[in-house]
Amino acid sequence: MEEGRAERRRRTEAPSHTQGGPRRAGVMTDVHRRFLQLLMTHGVLEEGDVRRLQNHCYRVHDRSAAVEELEDFINNINSVLESLYIEIKKGATEDDGRPVYALVNLATTSVSKMASDFAENELDLFRKALELIIDSETGFASSTNILNLVDQLKGKKMRKKEAEQVLQKFVQNKWLIEKEGEFTLHSRAILEMEQYIRETYPDAVKICNICHSLLIQGQSCETCGIRMHLPCVAKYFQSNSEPRCPHCNDYWPHEIPEVFDPEKEREAGTSRATKRSLRSRQH
Amino acid sequence: AAEEAPSTSRGAGSSQEARSSSSQGSRRAEASPEVGPRSQQQLELKVAELVQFLLIKDQKKIPIKRTDILKHVIGDYKDIFPDLLKLAAERLEYVFGYKLVELEPKSNTYILINTLEPVEEDAEVRGDQGTPTTGLLMIVLGLIFMKGNTIKETEVWDFLRRLGVYPTKKHLVFGDPKKLITEEFVRQRYLEYRRIPHTDPVDYELQWGPRTNLETSKMKVLKFVAKVHNQDPKDWPAQYCEALADEEARARPETSGPAPSS
Repeated sequence: MEEGRAERRRRTEAPSHTQGGPRRAGVMTDVHRRFLQLLMTHGVLEEGDVRRLQNHCYRVHDRSAAVEELEDFINNINSVLESLYIEIKKGATEDDGRPVYALVNLATTSVSKMASDFAENELDLFRKALELIIDSETGFASSTNILNLVDQLKGKKMRKKEAEQVLQKFVQNKWLIEKEGEFTLHSRAILEMEQYIRETYPDAVKICNICHSLLIQGQSCETCGIRMHLPCVAKYFQSNSEPRCPHCNDYWPHEIPEVFDPEKEREAGTSRATKRSLRSRQH
Repeated sequence: AAEEAPSTSRGAGSSQEARSSSSQGSRRAEASPEVGPRSQQQLELKVAELVQFLLIKDQKKIPIKRTDILKHVIGDYKDIFPDLLKLAAERLEYVFGYKLVELEPKSNTYILINTLEPVEEDAEVRGDQGTPTTGLLMIVLGLIFMKGNTIKETEVWDFLRRLGVYPTKKHLVFGDPKKLITEEFVRQRYLEYRRIPHTDPVDYELQWGPRTNLETSKMKVLKFVAKVHNQDPKDWPAQYCEALADEEARARPETSGPAPSS
């Protein structure tokens, strides 16, 4: 059980952890178990809702205890999940930088959530859409272009009408996002499949110059071509009146988005619900 | 996108070395299906696969067949299947709070039982419908128990009609109630649905299925019925006695325990 453990590095590793020694896994209580059970019912969950969930679990099992800081709480659970090759991974939505969490598989095995929910031809349709999305300049693939590939699908023959419904199923299950007839990857898919995508499409894949993670949507420098996520742009150029490309120093020609502020969201309250319906269905 | 690298359950051919990817802290590991001593990591990975398989299958509430487990996950590790299953069951209970139990003795099918009690407020924070602890299923289970553990289908609809639920009419919440009760709940093993011979027009009888006995109890269902009527369980002495006897039987240590049999 200890063999190989020292080799494994986790993103959320505490800085004080010593290398080489066997890591002591955290302890699971009913608070953690209920949290995991309920987290699993969501494909991906926004940070605010994750906190609500955490508070709920404390209320059910341990009212008197102080609610542990979310990051520590999750690190604790992840240390137990490590031996099962899964982890609660934190990411951010590509359009506005909302922190999101998902339970993801760390080992590539044949057992996967997506494989169990969809038929062979449906999975192949997703694969085709994924490839178009990765190859595209904008990170979006048009419905038309995806549907034109239905003849090439493995498995049972699928008609375009059916394929349209399958694409909607992907949207409902939070694997894809639809915006004005075009599709891109949901944050859930990015969290779950980043590793797979980087290994399968090493030449086509785009990487963010700031955070070095997989990039599907973002801004690019028109001179040297480097790319950045919108939330990474927001953070990097925050309160910078003359934004310049970090690589070639040319003037950054795009609009700088605002950094995501959870406080502002909470204050906005009802206006957020309106904003939501105007935005593409993301969460 | 889900068709990742060859799984450990496929036979012969390329043996790939387990390696850890250092980027992003995530790693990718595979076990080669060679005969002979397997490494600790290979075993760990196999158990992990099995745990995930059981979780995913159980989410659909369909009992998991041993043959499916052997086919889709265990593969070449068949010789240590009982040990792998035991380890997976331990992890499932410790980490997730789910107990792996055999649906019926020697049935070679399994379900996961939640060791945590569902709470009403769970509904506010979950992402799906959850198990039908309240609602149509509970009403039907209550009906069955109160009527002496078996009830005719016609009686069920006579009752449900009063609640605005009809076999032939689409329901806002339940969709197709007839399909839900006579097919879905049966498939999930909450109910048993049998034709009563020599009935004209054909009638069916409904009873509790094996999953119901594992997930809930007569006492719990009686309490639900009492709550709905705003009364006390003891107001139904016959059923209360039966529920008590059931509780006692459950409390007694079982000879054939719920642990998976090899």
